[in-house]
Parts: sequence; C-alpha cells; structure tokens
Amino acid sequence: MVVACEHVWREISNYFEGDVDPALRLALEEHLAQCPRCQSVREGMRNVIELYSDKAMFPLPDGFYPRLHGRLAYQVGGRRISRRAWLVSVGVTGALAASAVCAAALDRFVPRPLSEMSQPARRLPQRLVAIVDGGKIFHVPGCPFMHGTYHMVTAEEAVREGYAPCTRCMRDALRSGGKVSPAFEGEENAGGATEGK
Amino acid sequence: MPRSDPGHEHEAVLIGRIQSGETELFYELIRPYERRVFVIAFTILRNEADAEDVAQDAFLKAFKYLAQFRSESRFSTWLIQVAINEARQRQRKSHLEIMRPIADQENEDGTYTPRDFTDWREIPSEALERKEIREKLISALGSLAQKYREVFVLRDVEHMSIEDTAEALGISAGAVKTRLLRARLMLRDLLSPGLDGVWATNSQIPKGTKPWS
Repeated sequence: MVVACEHVWREISNYFEGDVDPALRLALEEHLAQCPRCQSVREGMRNVIELYSDKAMFPLPDGFYPRLHGRLAYQVGGRRISRRAWLVSVGVTGALAASAVCAAALDRFVPRPLSEMSQPARRLPQRLVAIVDGGKIFHVPGCPFMHGTYHMVTAEEAVREGYAPCTRCMRDALRSGGKVSPAFEGEENAGGATEGK
Repeated sequence: MPRSDPGHEHEAVLIGRIQSGETELFYELIRPYERRVFVIAFTILRNEADAEDVAQDAFLKAFKYLAQFRSESRFSTWLIQVAINEARQRQRKSHLEIMRPIADQENEDGTYTPRDFTDWREIPSEALERKEIREKLISALGSLAQKYREVFVLRDVEHMSIEDTAEALGISAGAVKTRLLRARLMLRDLLSPGLDGVWATNSQIPKGTKPWS
C-alpha cells in the first residue's frame, strides 16, 4: 500500500492512538521514513501531546483544596466540618468579635491611666500604708526599702498629704490588684496599728 | 456498558455507603477527580476564578444528585458530564459564547491541512517550568474552538479513553477522533515556530526560533 501526504495527515492522530490496522501502519511508516514534511507533522504532534500531558501545564490556584473542602463541608458534613459545628464556630466567632468591638469601643471612652502609679486612688483608698518619719514616700508595710520609724495612714490620706508611692513596693502592689506580695504580707498583718516603731 | 475493574467496584461500594449515610466518604470518592474537574472547567471557561467556582458547584451538584448516578457508567465520566454542564451553563450566563473563536463555526468534516513544516523535534523537558511557556500553551489551547478544546483536554490532558471522552461529551467515538486530529494539528501549527500563530504574534520570541530556545 502506498499513501500520500494527505492520507498521513488524516491518519496521524489515529497512528498515535495505535488505532490503525497493521497494513496501514506499515504504509504510514514507510512514507514517514522518506518524507520530511510528514516527519515534521508527526514530531510536532508528538510534542504537542507530550507538552499538554504534563501535570505542570495546569497548576491549581493557591488554596484551591481548602476552599473546595470548606464549601463542600456545608452540605456534605462528615469529619471535616459538620454544618452544626460550622454554625457553632460561626456563632462563637461572632460573639468574640462583638465583644472585641465593644471592648475596643469602651477603651476609647474610658481614659487609660498614663502610668501604673496613677491608679491607686480607686484601688487603695482604704489600704494602710507606711510613711517613714521625715520621708516623702509611702510604702507597703515591710518594704525592704523602708528604713527608720514610720507611721500608718490610709493610702488616700498619704496621697492627699503629698506623699509619693515607693516605686518598688507600690508597683508590685498595684500590679497584683492591691494585694501585697507574700514577703510583705506577714509584716503588714503583724503591724495593723496606725503607729509604728 | 458494565465495568468490572477494581477501581470501579471500589467506587460503587463508596457510593453505596454514601447513600446509606456515610456522607464523609464523598471526599474519598471525589479525591482522584478534584484536579480533573477544575482543569476541564478552566479549559471551557478560560478563567481561573470561574473555573474554581464551577468546580465547586459541580462537586456540590454531584453530591446532591448522587442517587441519580447509574452504576453502568463510570463515576468519573458522570462527574465530568456534570462539570461540563456546569461550565457550559456558566458560559451561557456570562454570554461568553459571543466571544467564542471564529474557528467554532468551522466544519470539522473538512480536511485540515498542516500549515507549517518546521523541524520541531527538540523539546526540552524543563520547558514547562517556565511560566511564559505554560501561558503560551494555555493561550494556544484557548484559541481553539470549544468543541476541540473539550476533546483535547479530556483525551490528551486528562488521558481519558476515546470511549469515555465520547460518553462524557455525548458524541460518537468517531467524532472524538475527528476533533482530536484537528485539535492536535491546529495546536501543532499554533505552536510551531516561524508561523503567524500565537508564538510569533503574541510573544517577543523572534520569528523562526523555538519558543524555549
């Protein structure tokens, strides 16, 4: 069998599919062996098939799988995310977001103290503090930076009279919400009088 | 036509269990086809975002209508049919058919004559690692008429058989072969260097040189 170029072009795709009978295949190959034009068609088609068969040809968009599974989860349910779990998580997230918004809004209207030391007026008015005689600072009783004789007054009174808080012991007391550290507590309880030694 | 390969039987078991309420097995059922559905949608729509959306819709629809699946077909073929229908619907809604290539109106029965006979033997294996090469190939494929794109992507990209391709597209095996021949020849012409195809007109690659050289 002898075939012309047009016949080769008609059958070249079937040739790659292995979908030509043996006699035709032989005839095609004999023609191809001596026809540069048909060789070009064959090699070009082979390259096209190989190029497009590569998985790298069509990369998936970033995040394709999470988005797909996230959307499927609404209807399919199962182990990934059930609809109920999704609703609960949306509810919790919404509540948290709402509380965060409220907190942020409140934060705008409640003035934030400029320093820790500006807070004791609300927190320590009834608290007894020690004022070292002749000094200008008041302490938590038992403060290691307190020397000499002292007398006890309320914190409110000390502030009103112009005494400044000790930056060491009062900072700790303020940070702990007005509680004194255990190291100071024993002495404070042991004191309790308005007058010290 | 009944199939008896192990993969088909495994899928039939999965489908039965899903229909009995083990819906989480749907993920396992579709896992081998997630990429394929996207690629087919992308080939039809030529837009990544639309293709992803359509792929999601197709899987949701497949889940919803799984009870209608007839086990004499392959699940993959049925799923591809669903995806193709979704993509075509999206295309109609978007009026994309107005912009379809002129080649869409071509008569596929006519003989296609190759236009270029450049020696095209070299093909570096790393060619596809270059983004611009991939883009040129996608652009060339996108310039074909949809009926050629569909056949080509199912057979040469997704390696579906001629018979499954025909079933998925609702056409005869003969029509698949005819369209496949034309798609391959047209792509060869479009990608052959030295022609007024996509390489020469849309790229900065000098005429007469290979795109990856």
